[in-house]
Amino acid sequence: MKTRLISIVVSLLLGVAGCGGGSGGNKQPPPPPPPAPITKAEAFQFLNQATFGATETEADQVIAMRYEAWIDDQLAKPASLQLPHIQSLPLPPFIGQLQADRVDIWFRNALHGDDQLRQRVAFALSEILVVSQLGALNNQPYSLASYYDMLARNAFGNYRDLIEEVTLHPSMGVYLSMLGNEKPDAVNNIRPDENYARELMQLFSIGLVELNLDGTVKTDTQGQPIPTYDQSVIEAFAHVYTGWTYAGSPVFRGARATLTNQVIPMQLWQSFHDTGPKTLLNGFTIPAGQMGEQDLADALDNVFNHPNVGPFLAIRLIQRLVTSNPSPGYVSRVASVFNNNGQGVRGDLRAVVRAILLDPEAQPAMRMDLDGKIKEPLLRLTQLWRAYDATSISGRYPFNFAYIIFGQGPLQSPSVFNFYSPFFAPTGEIRDNSLVAPELEIATEYLNTYITNFMFGQTFGLNSTNENLNPDDVYINFEAEMAIAADIDLLIDTVAGKLLGGQISDTLRNEIAGMLALVPETDTATRVAETIYFVVTSPEYAYQR
Amino acid sequence: MIMKKINRRDFIRTTGAAAAAATFASTPGLAYSQGIGTSAPFGDYRALVCVFMFGGNDSFNMLVPNTTAEYNTYAASRQNLAIAQQDLLPINPTSLPAGSNPFGLHPSMATTQTLFESGNAAFVANVGPLVEPTTKDEYFNKSVLLPPQLFSHNDQQAQWQSLKGASTSKTGWAGRIADLIRTNVADQQMATNASLFGTNLFQSADQTIAYVMGNTGPLQFTGFSDDPGSILFDQKLAFEGIVDAQYNSVYERAFAEIQRRAIDAADTVSAAITSAPTLNTIFPTSQLGRQLETVAKLIGNKDQLQMERQIFFVATGGFDSHDDQNINQPGLLGGISDAMAAFYDATVELGMADSVTAFTQSDFGRTLTSNGDGTDHAWGGNQLVVGGAVEGRDIYGTYPVLEIGGDIDTGGGRMIPSTSADQLAATLAKWFGIPDADLDVVAPNIDNFVQRDLGFMV
Repeated sequence: MKTRLISIVVSLLLGVAGCGGGSGGNKQPPPPPPPAPITKAEAFQFLNQATFGATETEADQVIAMRYEAWIDDQLAKPASLQLPHIQSLPLPPFIGQLQADRVDIWFRNALHGDDQLRQRVAFALSEILVVSQLGALNNQPYSLASYYDMLARNAFGNYRDLIEEVTLHPSMGVYLSMLGNEKPDAVNNIRPDENYARELMQLFSIGLVELNLDGTVKTDTQGQPIPTYDQSVIEAFAHVYTGWTYAGSPVFRGARATLTNQVIPMQLWQSFHDTGPKTLLNGFTIPAGQMGEQDLADALDNVFNHPNVGPFLAIRLIQRLVTSNPSPGYVSRVASVFNNNGQGVRGDLRAVVRAILLDPEAQPAMRMDLDGKIKEPLLRLTQLWRAYDATSISGRYPFNFAYIIFGQGPLQSPSVFNFYSPFFAPTGEIRDNSLVAPELEIATEYLNTYITNFMFGQTFGLNSTNENLNPDDVYINFEAEMAIAADIDLLIDTVAGKLLGGQISDTLRNEIAGMLALVPETDTATRVAETIYFVVTSPEYAYQR
Repeated sequence: MIMKKINRRDFIRTTGAAAAAATFASTPGLAYSQGIGTSAPFGDYRALVCVFMFGGNDSFNMLVPNTTAEYNTYAASRQNLAIAQQDLLPINPTSLPAGSNPFGLHPSMATTQTLFESGNAAFVANVGPLVEPTTKDEYFNKSVLLPPQLFSHNDQQAQWQSLKGASTSKTGWAGRIADLIRTNVADQQMATNASLFGTNLFQSADQTIAYVMGNTGPLQFTGFSDDPGSILFDQKLAFEGIVDAQYNSVYERAFAEIQRRAIDAADTVSAAITSAPTLNTIFPTSQLGRQLETVAKLIGNKDQLQMERQIFFVATGGFDSHDDQNINQPGLLGGISDAMAAFYDATVELGMADSVTAFTQSDFGRTLTSNGDGTDHAWGGNQLVVGGAVEGRDIYGTYPVLEIGGDIDTGGGRMIPSTSADQLAATLAKWFGIPDADLDVVAPNIDNFVQRDLGFMV
């Protein structure tokens, strides 16, 4: 579907000079690139795929180490965690107040954690294996912190282990109502809850229709997509996920969250577990009479071994990290690594992440016009904050309303369907060319303006020259730019260097220069604020190359 | 491009700000109206307001059978989720014997009871996505075409909103209406479709784009001014210069287009809301209440915006009641009822009740059976239609016998719709002014159903 042909058509339609591409079909793995030095712009492109925002310091590291060594160094770093911090805080009058602290520690780790790649992948996973503060979990900040830590710890582990930890985590138990789910009661017309059964398959692992290895949809002899499961399979899985509740609860029905049981895996009550036989995916049947743990292990094996998981996960992780529209070849290469990491192991996320970032299609030097994506809105913020050493007087980042202003915040999705759909295509040339742009689903006139206005306040108000900051106001530090603000070209170069890796369009440069000429040379703070404001609200900054 | 931009700024500085300001003042809105105006205008005003209940409303607890036999069947099916019969708010559809109280509403919906009994609200019973009329045998034999991915949230939201299924269509039925009437609406100052709940498939179209605002309207740009003496005026020009530039990437271009639309519409739409007639109606302070209040203000100021036809999308969530249904349902249904009733009152206050029709949609109905303390995803359900042009105080379609294992139960109380979402959409579209010949553009399956018009609109 998303073949080279489309890029050619688009190039023609848009009047962009189309060169090459005569071979048709998918992108071929190109010959090894010449060992040219990595440029700063390329290092920025790479780091915007692999971190919470490129910085000049980190770019120097990438240039010195090259991509592979930088990735391997990152893969070895232990996870920066949230729960220890949350547990170190005194219990506030309303436990939900700790959500601001959870967001604070999320920002600290995202902005300053050494394990940038791990944190970025954990964030991507949190948009696939979704739980959210918005709802009952608002009162379980410990559980959410623990859930995120679980994602971070498993970000380079095995997907089979990850989905088991996800399944048994009380956050997920609450969010998709597996916690307290019990075996059928025919007399009272009570069936097992199908919520988790459905979404684990639809959203966390295999999706609705059978996929080829390259992520394209398989079709039957009539050209129709082939559903991966039907209602009977959902009901069978719903029976599997019965009998689990908070660990250590004295009761099954009406079990309550405590500070301790919300951060440890759920526990089985066999007496509430359905022990009938269950026919799962592809006709695999669990025998009657098993313990709930064994049913669960068999069921998760059944899901994990479905051929869809590789391409399903490859598409979603590539979309979060690298590009909205990976070619079938790219998906196929990553899915193959999911299926076998080279040592016969299926589901090795470490190998998958390497494959995603080191693929020729992800390499900055190989970019084409259709590559890349719109930056996730929250990453527009973290990149700015990283580049300009954002901090607050209190040292905290309790930006709990990220989801309101940016449409996106850590574990703040409006539903299990995440902030946007992997399939979203806005009206216009993107849809016309069968492309998608998930992040644009929330880039509405309203939210874009909200972000633009936020950036106005951030650059002109919440900066290091402001003497009236509140303790928790997160401000950016641009003292260095103020020192050179008399020189318009140098100022623009400096800001573009920090935020765009030095790649700035003539239009953006000229418009900023025109504005700066209207600001007195002595008003250095305004000059710097103007420059940063225009860069961080520009289409080119919103674009992850 | 760059030179053109700089020239424009120089032009302003040298030829006088007032003239320049007048030039620019005439542009906002037009670029965004999307009208063509090659056909005659409608000559009157009509608005459709879609109230989407995200998650799948358990609507067999919204509209409940109240005669003894039917209630007992309902109660046997629903067990611990059943509303006690003495708590139901009785309603008397005109087509049924007076005083028989054959149906009741959820006890949280007193405001809807009043609207219904006064003839300004109706229900469409057991309606849902269908490609063609479907029996239980046909469902299990797969001998009819079925909507894709029944019982899945996003797919059934897509089915309700597009009537085509997300896999085969990227447009929604409101979007297709907007495309159809482009020729009639030349002078309008905002897009036909406006959403107060984000991007949605319902309003997605090929030729027009819905405008998205917040609960209380658009945000204006804090860094911009229309006073040519202010540096914020230059700031706006510079921002526009960046937005209007040529970009190599499709993603940059799409992003820039959104920014452009935001600039174009913010002032016009904000001004229309600010200068709207004051409403005495008190709206609920809920998100839905605020959205509908904003819609009422925009409708009240339709003349300033030169609108003849508008479709609004408002929504609220939380209906996916897999657990704690008995705890949450009163707030959910009461919230819908009170917000829609207030909205109706506002349209009366504006003297426009006959020109505005609000209607509900939701992902799907829910299982009649319980999963312990909640319900799961199902299919057919009941929807509410409110407005002065509604042939109210009646229930349209066929209200089913709520029996587990009955004629239309596909299992667990997942009821096959007896009326299609296409029929509901076509009925509304016809009232909105879409000619019969174009109804299949709006409702692509309508030709598969005998009744193209359910009759609930005057």
